[in-house]
Amino acid sequence: MYLSVYVNNNIYKLRGPHFTGCRSREQETFRCWWSAGIFQNLTEPGALRVFYQTKNFLSEWQECPDYTRTVKNECYFNKTFTQIWTSYCIQLRSVRENITYDEACFTVENIVHPDPPIGLNWTLLNVSRSGLHFDVLVRWAPPPSADVQMGWMSLVYQVQYRVRNNSHWEMLDLESGTQQSIYGLHTDKEYEVRVRCKMSAFDNFGEFSDSIIVHVAQIPSKESTFPTTLVLIFGVIGVVILLVLLIFSQQQRLMVIFLPPIPAPKIKGIDPELLKNGKLDQLNSLLSSQDMYKPDFYHEDPWVEFIQLDLDDPAEKNESSDTQHLLGVSRSGSSHVLNFKSDDDSGRASCYDPEIPNPEDLASLLPGHSGRGDNHPLVSRSSSSIPDLGVQQTSEVEETPIQTQPAVPSWVNMDFYAQVSDFTPAGGVVLSPGQLNSCPEKKKEEENEKKIQFQLVSDGAYTSENTARQLSASVPPSPGPEQGYQTFPTQAVEGNLWNGEYLVSTSDSQTPYLLPEAPPAPILPPVSDYTVVQEVDAQHSLLLNPPSSQPAICPHSPNKHLPAMPTMPMGYLTPDLLGNLTP
Amino acid sequence: MNRVKVLQAWLWCVSLWSCWLSHAIPLDCKDETGSLIQCTSISQEKLLDRVIQHAELIYRVSEESCTLFIVSSQLENMQRMMEDMFVPYPLHALRNQGGTVCHTKPFPIPGSKTEIQQISDKWLLHSVLMLVQSWMEPLIYLQTTLNRYDDAPDALLNKTKWVSDKLLSLEQGVVVLIRKMLDEGILTPSVFEHTLTPYDEPSPEIPESVLRDYNLLICFKKDAHKMETFLKLLKCRQSNKLSCLSY
Repeated sequence: MYLSVYVNNNIYKLRGPHFTGCRSREQETFRCWWSAGIFQNLTEPGALRVFYQTKNFLSEWQECPDYTRTVKNECYFNKTFTQIWTSYCIQLRSVRENITYDEACFTVENIVHPDPPIGLNWTLLNVSRSGLHFDVLVRWAPPPSADVQMGWMSLVYQVQYRVRNNSHWEMLDLESGTQQSIYGLHTDKEYEVRVRCKMSAFDNFGEFSDSIIVHVAQIPSKESTFPTTLVLIFGVIGVVILLVLLIFSQQQRLMVIFLPPIPAPKIKGIDPELLKNGKLDQLNSLLSSQDMYKPDFYHEDPWVEFIQLDLDDPAEKNESSDTQHLLGVSRSGSSHVLNFKSDDDSGRASCYDPEIPNPEDLASLLPGHSGRGDNHPLVSRSSSSIPDLGVQQTSEVEETPIQTQPAVPSWVNMDFYAQVSDFTPAGGVVLSPGQLNSCPEKKKEEENEKKIQFQLVSDGAYTSENTARQLSASVPPSPGPEQGYQTFPTQAVEGNLWNGEYLVSTSDSQTPYLLPEAPPAPILPPVSDYTVVQEVDAQHSLLLNPPSSQPAICPHSPNKHLPAMPTMPMGYLTPDLLGNLTP
Repeated sequence: MNRVKVLQAWLWCVSLWSCWLSHAIPLDCKDETGSLIQCTSISQEKLLDRVIQHAELIYRVSEESCTLFIVSSQLENMQRMMEDMFVPYPLHALRNQGGTVCHTKPFPIPGSKTEIQQISDKWLLHSVLMLVQSWMEPLIYLQTTLNRYDDAPDALLNKTKWVSDKLLSLEQGVVVLIRKMLDEGILTPSVFEHTLTPYDEPSPEIPESVLRDYNLLICFKKDAHKMETFLKLLKCRQSNKLSCLSY
């Protein structure tokens, strides 16, 4: 009986006297309980009574056969009064008021909640090889109250287990037998196992049995793991020792493999040692066989002279400075012989033309001797950047303008003028990085064109007055006995790269290295000792900036004729001076 | 009524015929090639075990059918709807009571354990046979009804079909058992006073027919339980008479 009460839009169902439940343990007897609900006046015993009726033949209501004395509000139906496959209906009545408060109908087999199984125990099935997991077999017996043997009740069981003190129970499938295996338990954990049962094809589980504790201590099993660990350790140590021995024995080879030496720059086919030793003739032969150079350029002009750059060679410092060479030594005459780096530089001789009157003189005059192949900075540096500046031999060329023949196409990469920053004791010139002449145009030009081409001597640091005179003048330079320098063709015509250019005085006069202070010939106005190279023409000859030529920018018309040179200051031609010079 | 009589007569003939066959001619046994051969004999114990297995299976499947029926027919939704409208809906009562109206049996079967324990073997077997036979036709009918529903799950239909087939086998087994254990052939068919439920009524509203079908399933489940219980009791008696008697 319900009483629905609306309180703040909520329905509260207040119950009057009602049945709280009926249960059977073994399908042979059953009990029913009730409560008085909110009607407190009906709590005294006898106020409420239970009546039942079986839907069999008897349709009269009978009172509860047994009100349990010990338990309050319980009605007990014993074996006599219990029938299965029969529906019962019970009523809760207050006889005094003749009101039926509650009614319920059921069949006994539907209210069966079996007793818990008994005799739960476990046996160890096996332990995993790692010793971390194990399996158990759990056994139990059906509840004694349930007559399973007769087949009166067919029970199915459910095993549950959990890690101890965990809140979640693992449930296994229903089992109709009386044993079950549990797999995959951890060895160091404690497990609780319990079991309950119900009638097959019915839904009501009984109570759980008492839990049992399943625990398997983790066997330290050092015996099994010990050898394995030992073997592993020894194996690793052995391998490490082997590796170390291998490394030490094959150290060199490993070094080569892992840290390959950085290849030094070298020319194909040329041994750097060769260059160091100064075997110049071998070098020359080697180099001549190279096809690095364009033979066209090379063979066009026999007058090939090269400038030798002699950079920081500390050995040369021991010798007298270049300045001395230039200033004083040269005066002493051609007898002065430069201290050659090594006497065994036999290649030096090959550099010399047989016609050369005085190779020693030449050698004495040169700041950096080409013969000293070992000092050749170009040799030691790179093979590509050889500033081969040809110096025209004025004495030999009648009408042909002075041209330079670069031996290496990479001529164009070099600076066309650079300032001399220092002199080496041996007479070499140390250059400072100069500007890049960005217009290395290699136009093929008429040789007959009257263009004055300067050939840089020693990177343009110096040019003889004579040469300047020659250049400035439109007349072909006369190989007369002028003071000044004569360009000297070297053997480089034949392919020798390493002939530096050097200005040689005429054989007779043996004029030493011309000093800037030397008064120029009156033929031409005085020319500065060094001028800025303006451009390079097709023949790779330098065009120094003549006084009357264009300023030192990319010339568009390299074929400028040089007018008569005005008086040049003795010194470096500065851009503002250039401005004065431009027409 | 005509139809009922026709059915009865037909059943009588069929059972006569099958009984005569089972008595006169042993059960047809077919080997792999399909030709009829003499059936290999089976021990009584094994046969009883097989019969019990059949009964158990049928019982379990009947319970599954009930659950499936409830779920698929949404009878519970109906129940809730009705309850919200404060209209009593007999679904749970139906279930709890094991069916309101189950067709009555020719002879009452006792329900208490003590009484059942006092039943003789003969009556146990006969009761089983009677139960099996009483359900063969209603199950066929149930199949047709279920097919009529649009959303009846295939599982339910399959189960019903399966149960029908298995009942036949069960009947065969029980007949053999009777013959073996009781040394009697069934000459006369069981007197079935079938009070067939009015299946020939025009199909009422769907909810009611659904309820009726559910009721049928529940009744069948109860009877299957009876079969199983009897057969198990029989087995218990075969193995150990003393413990199976009432104590």
